[in-house]
Amino acid sequence: MVEEGLSALAAILERCRLNHTTQSRPPNILQSLLAIQKALGSVPLHAVGEIAHALEVTEADVAGVLSYYPELRTRPPGRHLIRICIGESCVANHCDRVLAALRDALNIDVGETTMDGRFTVQRIYCVGNCAVGPSLMVDDDVHGRVAPQKVGELLNEYE
Amino acid sequence: MTRLYLSNDTSARAAGADRLAKAWAHTPGLELIRTSSRGAFFLEPLVERDMPGGRVAWSNVTPDDLPRILAGSGGAPVSQIPFLSRQTRVTFANFGVTQPLSLDEYSACGGTKGLERARQLSPGAMIEELKVSRLRGRGGAAFPVWNKWQIARETASDRKYVVANADEGDAGTYCDRMIMEGEPFRLIEGMLICARAIGADTGYIYCRKEYPAAAGTLRAAIERAERAGLLGSGPPGSHGTGFHLEVLVGAGSYVVGEETALLESLEGRRGVVQARPPYPAVSGLYGRPTIVSNVLTFAIVPSILARGGEWYASMGTERSRGTVVLQIGGRVKQPGLVEIPFGATLEEVLERFGGGMAPGARFKAVQVGGPLGSLFPASRLGIRICYDAFAEAGAILGHGGIVVYDDETDMVELARHFMAFTADESCGKCTPCRIGSVRGREILERIQVGRGRPGDLDLLADLGETMKTASLCAFGGRAPYPVLTAIEHFGEEFRRLMK
Repeated sequence: MVEEGLSALAAILERCRLNHTTQSRPPNILQSLLAIQKALGSVPLHAVGEIAHALEVTEADVAGVLSYYPELRTRPPGRHLIRICIGESCVANHCDRVLAALRDALNIDVGETTMDGRFTVQRIYCVGNCAVGPSLMVDDDVHGRVAPQKVGELLNEYE
Repeated sequence: MTRLYLSNDTSARAAGADRLAKAWAHTPGLELIRTSSRGAFFLEPLVERDMPGGRVAWSNVTPDDLPRILAGSGGAPVSQIPFLSRQTRVTFANFGVTQPLSLDEYSACGGTKGLERARQLSPGAMIEELKVSRLRGRGGAAFPVWNKWQIARETASDRKYVVANADEGDAGTYCDRMIMEGEPFRLIEGMLICARAIGADTGYIYCRKEYPAAAGTLRAAIERAERAGLLGSGPPGSHGTGFHLEVLVGAGSYVVGEETALLESLEGRRGVVQARPPYPAVSGLYGRPTIVSNVLTFAIVPSILARGGEWYASMGTERSRGTVVLQIGGRVKQPGLVEIPFGATLEEVLERFGGGMAPGARFKAVQVGGPLGSLFPASRLGIRICYDAFAEAGAILGHGGIVVYDDETDMVELARHFMAFTADESCGKCTPCRIGSVRGREILERIQVGRGRPGDLDLLADLGETMKTASLCAFGGRAPYPVLTAIEHFGEEFRRLMK
């Protein structure tokens, strides 16, 4: 598993390297990290050195980008990523009640993953679904008009 | 065969449109067309059908409603829905009518006419048309669009770029998302016109990660535009292939919506704000002249080219010309997208379009312009929606987000939420914002638990002044406003906790 991950990493880094040399531009660290996360589920901290070497930048450059963006992760999330919207329109629609229901249903807090690895819960500042809030985003699906009492039922759709 | 129209917009789907599509998928004699959304989200899922007098709509539809829709019973003519008929739709005129990825339908409804006109004009004449229109950037800074284009055009460079800021991070706003999902060719057309005017061969759309459907639709639209010969399909810069356009997706971060931070992020670095000048129009992406504009701004440009700058400037107020795109959310009866000429009062908008408060809710405050926007109590709703009136009041229109809070909203908690947001999202470049936001959050947290100290509200006011005057960008400079207006209008709630 570890070896598979590493060879996948090497392949992505090779593509990123090709990409920037053909366009005669400095390497795009953010897009490289997003590509790695897409393939591996996260950007493992122990890979920072190898990524920096391949992109010909410093480890601090890579670690700096990795820690800056909320969507980049150093550990893989649960099978499904639940993002509760706390943008102002959802706040106005009392999304705190949805969050409380989510905590009750899953027994975890924001930033945590359920014991069975099924769900990770995160907060997000606005998913642009303000007219039909409160909103929950599960993976790429946006759910609107989420009633606190319907949260459990909604999560049943995700194995 | 009966043809029904159903929106494929993210919010329509979130309201249940996909559930209908799934339930009706195998109904014999039914053809379901997925369109953009009209933006009347309180009615979604909305199902429409062609009738002799035009489209007829059924609102808040459930799967069981199919028989009555097929029988043609119930339903209301779209032209008689007041929320829509009271609007002046320019940029959003075709929304709810066409299929997002049909270039033929886009052209049939007036699309690509702006580009055709632009092809007949010199770059100078195009910029003149924008000058006459008096269009100002819709991303928040309201800078005259023609002026920016002129600067980029006059700056000599081997290469120039056009960048669409699709990092629509203001909570309470969604019009950029609707454009990207609903009429992607309009954004592409606006960017193409800009590229011709300034002499750019490459463009990027920086789309936020939270909008996966928008990024997918844009990529599909770009592919179709390439096949139709509107866009170049070769690698950027290869000779004679035309304008190369690409979508890049971000990774969170609100501040990346600031133009210099966005360019940093586009180059793959931390999305940290840079001091200006130089402005991007002189030295932007990879040090080249770059036009960075919000999605909505680009989307307005084709209409101005097609119908003329004078026509556009004939709408609105003296210094705010054209239409304003408002997005109403929060505890109103009728949340949705509203496009009207500048100049109506906030109260009129909330009454005529918002339809008053949601059942059982009582008005407390309204916030205009996203998370950095000021709060208005009931006594201040007479303000006109235009740049000048808002600037005079120390408020912003921002990207047109309007969020209504009900009387169950705890203003101290809301103020803490604003400061926590600023502390979370500060890029860290300048001290007033990086440290000020954390101190502000701490003060509000101690007030909240009853440990506020005498003078804490003055301290917040003082801190706010420092952030306003000394922050590097509008993020730190505007962040105190929602907190300070909460204290100004609802001070009793803070003081009660400090006794």
